[in-house]
Amino acid sequence: MSSVCLVLPVVLPILGGAVMPLLHLPDKKRNLCLEILVLLTSAVAFLCVFRRPEEGFVLFHLTGNLDFALRIDGLGSVFVCVIAFLWPLATLYAFEYMRHEERTAGFFAFYTMTYGVTLGIAMAKNLVTMYLFYELLTLVSVYLVMHPMTKKALYASRIYLYYSIGGAAFAFIALVFIIIFGGGTTDFVLGGVLDMSRIGDNINIVLIVYLLAFWGFGVKAAVFPFQGWLPQASVAPTPVTALLHAVAVVKSGAFAVMRLTYYCFGAELLRGTWVHFVVMSIAMLSIIYGSTMAVKETHFKRRLAFSTVSNLSYILLGATMMSTQGLLAGMAHLVFHAFMKIGAFFSAGAVMHQSGRNYVDELNGLGKKMPFVFTVFVICGLSLIGIPGFAGFISKWNIAVAAMELGSEYPYAYGAVAVLLYSALMTAVYILTVAVRAWFPDKGSIKEPEEAVTDPNWEMKLPLFIFAVAVLFWGFCSEPVMRLLRAVSQGIL
Amino acid sequence: MKGDLVLFHVIWFPFAAAFLCYLTGKWHKMIRDRFLQLSVILEMGLMALAAAAYFQEAGLAADPTISSFHVGELQFMWEGFCMQGLYLKLDGFRLLYGCIAALMWMMTGIFSREYFAHYHNRNRYYFFYLLTLGSTMGVFLSGDLYTTFIFFEIMSLTSYVWVIHDEKPAAMKAGEIYLAIAVIGGLVMLMGLFLLYDAAGTLRMSELHDAVRSVMQEKAGQIYAAGFCMLFGFGAKAGMFPLHVWLPKAHPVAPAPASALLSGILTKTGVFGVLVVSAEIFRYDPAWGRLVLYLGTITMFGGAFLAVFSIDLKRTLACSSMSQIGFILVGVGMMELLGAENALAVRGTILHMVNHSMIKLILFMAAGVVYMNLHALDLNEIRGFGYRKPLLKGIFLMGAMSIGGIPGWSGYVSKTLLHESIVEYAEALAVHGEPSLWISGIEWIFLLTGGMTIAYMTKLFVAVFLEQHPDRQQEYDAKTAYMNTESMFALLVPTVLLVLMGFLPYHTMNRAADLAQGFLHGEMPAHAVHYFSLTNLKGAVISMTIGALVYFGLIRKFLMGKDEKGRTCYLNLWPGWLDLEDLVYRPVFAKAAAALAGYVCGIMDRLYLVQNLLKAAVEVSAFLSRICDYLVDMVLVLFRSTTHKSRTERRVYLIGSRVSRTLGKILDQVVWLMNHTIRRNNPIERSYVVTFAEWEEMMSRTSRLISASLSFGLMLAAIGLALTLAYLLWW
Repeated sequence: MSSVCLVLPVVLPILGGAVMPLLHLPDKKRNLCLEILVLLTSAVAFLCVFRRPEEGFVLFHLTGNLDFALRIDGLGSVFVCVIAFLWPLATLYAFEYMRHEERTAGFFAFYTMTYGVTLGIAMAKNLVTMYLFYELLTLVSVYLVMHPMTKKALYASRIYLYYSIGGAAFAFIALVFIIIFGGGTTDFVLGGVLDMSRIGDNINIVLIVYLLAFWGFGVKAAVFPFQGWLPQASVAPTPVTALLHAVAVVKSGAFAVMRLTYYCFGAELLRGTWVHFVVMSIAMLSIIYGSTMAVKETHFKRRLAFSTVSNLSYILLGATMMSTQGLLAGMAHLVFHAFMKIGAFFSAGAVMHQSGRNYVDELNGLGKKMPFVFTVFVICGLSLIGIPGFAGFISKWNIAVAAMELGSEYPYAYGAVAVLLYSALMTAVYILTVAVRAWFPDKGSIKEPEEAVTDPNWEMKLPLFIFAVAVLFWGFCSEPVMRLLRAVSQGIL
Repeated sequence: MKGDLVLFHVIWFPFAAAFLCYLTGKWHKMIRDRFLQLSVILEMGLMALAAAAYFQEAGLAADPTISSFHVGELQFMWEGFCMQGLYLKLDGFRLLYGCIAALMWMMTGIFSREYFAHYHNRNRYYFFYLLTLGSTMGVFLSGDLYTTFIFFEIMSLTSYVWVIHDEKPAAMKAGEIYLAIAVIGGLVMLMGLFLLYDAAGTLRMSELHDAVRSVMQEKAGQIYAAGFCMLFGFGAKAGMFPLHVWLPKAHPVAPAPASALLSGILTKTGVFGVLVVSAEIFRYDPAWGRLVLYLGTITMFGGAFLAVFSIDLKRTLACSSMSQIGFILVGVGMMELLGAENALAVRGTILHMVNHSMIKLILFMAAGVVYMNLHALDLNEIRGFGYRKPLLKGIFLMGAMSIGGIPGWSGYVSKTLLHESIVEYAEALAVHGEPSLWISGIEWIFLLTGGMTIAYMTKLFVAVFLEQHPDRQQEYDAKTAYMNTESMFALLVPTVLLVLMGFLPYHTMNRAADLAQGFLHGEMPAHAVHYFSLTNLKGAVISMTIGALVYFGLIRKFLMGKDEKGRTCYLNLWPGWLDLEDLVYRPVFAKAAAALAGYVCGIMDRLYLVQNLLKAAVEVSAFLSRICDYLVDMVLVLFRSTTHKSRTERRVYLIGSRVSRTLGKILDQVVWLMNHTIRRNNPIERSYVVTFAEWEEMMSRTSRLISASLSFGLMLAAIGLALTLAYLLWW
């Protein structure tokens, strides 16, 4: 397959999304066109992954040896697959969800463009390209946050913008230092590109730069103390909170940190240094913070947003183990969490859409009225807790294995296992309180609502069904996908 | 997938039946009820098939010698199932408990049709009922702890639905604590499994012992941590102190068939886990044995203590369950302490488990019959219900006698074995000259608890079956058709089995113990135990005496009184303040810990941290940039005030006096004229106004200077002198 094709998945949605509102199509036709466009992009993306050209494709030279180039490697293909699988389903869900909203033309334009940009992050060949797409992602997705155009939404979008742009500035520092200490190239190579002879005595500077960049890219992964934007941004429409703020945007942050750690600086260089423990502590702190706040929160979607904060840091915690097993665990959670959280969010969105209820204490007895949605929610929720038989368990187990592996060398890592336990308990609390309320309400606590609440139509149900099946399937039969991920983490694939 | 598929069938069948049953229920209720009964009977059949396969494997059909009992084992493996794989195994103990589980589900399933006739949400109940059957089977057939854990978790979650089935506030509250303990226990246990796996590298039960022993030296801490975590998880399910809080709450509020299962078999899954941990990981570890023994003793006594005070039929039975679990845990502790000579403890533990399952099945179903008719469980309301119901009376009596440990009933056999093991250990300690007072103390608590068991069972039996209700006795006696044939069958079959076990211990219970003891690595006892020898009867007699004392001295004297109408009644002196849930757990975990964590995270929230950090950063940067801003200014100011300081002297403007100005102007006019006329080619360009003013200024300054100088003064003086001289000379 010619390497030029790599450009297609990035350019198609960006151009298509930009052109679509200019055509002024009626809603139905536009939706059809968009769905076809998104499906086509996904098909091309999958094709690129499975018959991937070994050499990258250089779009243009920025300056010196800074290229704007695309290439798919192991880690990239994992992310591409997740995104390309979820996006068409989320778009389908969005059509139904946004049916009664205003300004849908602009919404879908940006929604589709974000797809292309996210794929760009996944397929970036070097740090420069990724950095550019990373900034671009902030810009195209900010409209999606402010879309309700309420005061709250505008505020949230501003916060989002400040945090993301600010974070990217930190990341930029890393870019410069990588060029200096890496011999001019910023290409992603498993094991890192830094040249020890160039670093010399400046190792501490490198570590500080890594810490800054970790925070910088980590802003999108809502790492402590830059997590504030994520719960605020849950004012956005559910397709956005679910796909962008549980998968695309935030996972881009986690993905970027993985790239930075394993493909730029190199895990070997960082392992055992002070910065290693600092970033591990940051991840642990975020996990504790996120899961505790989720218990405190009573707004359904914000609760899930806090849960995302903690789960993203699971990924980072895996990644910060600075080992092959850690990368594997992080990737596994990146993939599995995408499915279970988007499922949970879509369930929450379906509840809001069908019944207009936003708060957890309003959900009494809804399970009997919306059995399908809440069954999916329970499946995804149990997976989030980490009950065996669900996908979430597999990745958490692997994170714990990585922690124990590291712990035999640096006992500090045993703390990670304790954090996992604490967080699992908290997750159980914030998930099961919802599930129990919905399915087993106290007698007499339900005020019979006048309007009949039912399960949504097939456009909403189909994605939910697919997510639930995926979560269960991986829970029972994780070996094939884990084998792939293991190969990726060892650099074989 | 490989191995003996029959084991797998035993597991998947109930799961499949659950879904089928649910669908059937959507369609037709009566067919659903029958389908349920059919599926539990089929499950029993499948278990029988497995048993047949097991005995065939063991070669028992040909050679019924006892030694060959634990030779053959059935195994089933499914690699990669839920990551670590599914591993099922059938040995003697598992066979025994698989059969008991299947039997219990069969009997309660048959009983359920009548019991639930007027209930709501039956479909939901049956669905989870069958799911729990499958998962419980999975726990008992599991060959590695990972498989155990998977099914254990499913079982914990599905049985929650039983507890809250009524959806009344009490049930919801009990369900809350049940779920909390189940989830916390499950996750802590998972942590334990994980630590164990990390240390030993395997979770396969048969390999655990060797694996642990090889790493015990360097990783003792981790192994013990794993052991505590697992004891926490399994103990929580078993109802072990201090995690028993859910048990006296959850068992009474569940529907009676569910209570029977919760008490009789679900607690045993926890015990199963404790057994595995004790027998495989910490085999013959005295420290571990003491821990379990102490916890077991507290559980045993505490449960009986609560049961004596309870006046609720099912709650008494639930507390009794807790107490009996304590007996079993004492057995586990003794099994560890006795080391390789633990045959008595092993056999006692296993037999008491079996007994307790059967007894609680009978008693809870009997309580269910009472509840089904009266919808009440308070002893004051239900007293006299069984006065004229000989069948129910007989059934209940058999259960009560057995659990009380009356010689001739099965409970006596297991309790005797447990008691003997304690005595044996005390003797062993005495022989070695070690302090044995504490073990004698435990022996006395054991006997005392046995007495209390008899007392509270007597209390129940007397109240329900011997006394008469003060007002409604006629009404109660009129209820002759209080249960249908199916229910009668469900109650009678286990009763007959229980009675057979008690009357023929050598043919039934000994065989069961022989079959199962391999699981706990028990050897055959050195000498056959004569259950009805005098020494063994002595313990029972002591317990019965204590029981009589407690019943007549405590219950009838202090726990019974007169109500407002002057009739004797049972007083509710339930020690609610002893409830650890309200005393410790809720204040500590739900209030204090939650508040603390919430507070800390609130501080961590962006409102405080990032916002203030940002604010501080903005302030600092503003300050710095203002400094930078002023820096250039300051340099300029510095220069201006030093090197580039402007001159300070005043510019002098020459004005001149009026005279000089007039003269100058005149001269300037003249010059102007001259410039336009004669000096046209060479004009004069100076202004005489200025020139004259300068002159004048110079003159005035000079004159000022002169007039101020000393020489000028001297000169004037000299002139004066000269004038004076001239005057004198010429005038």
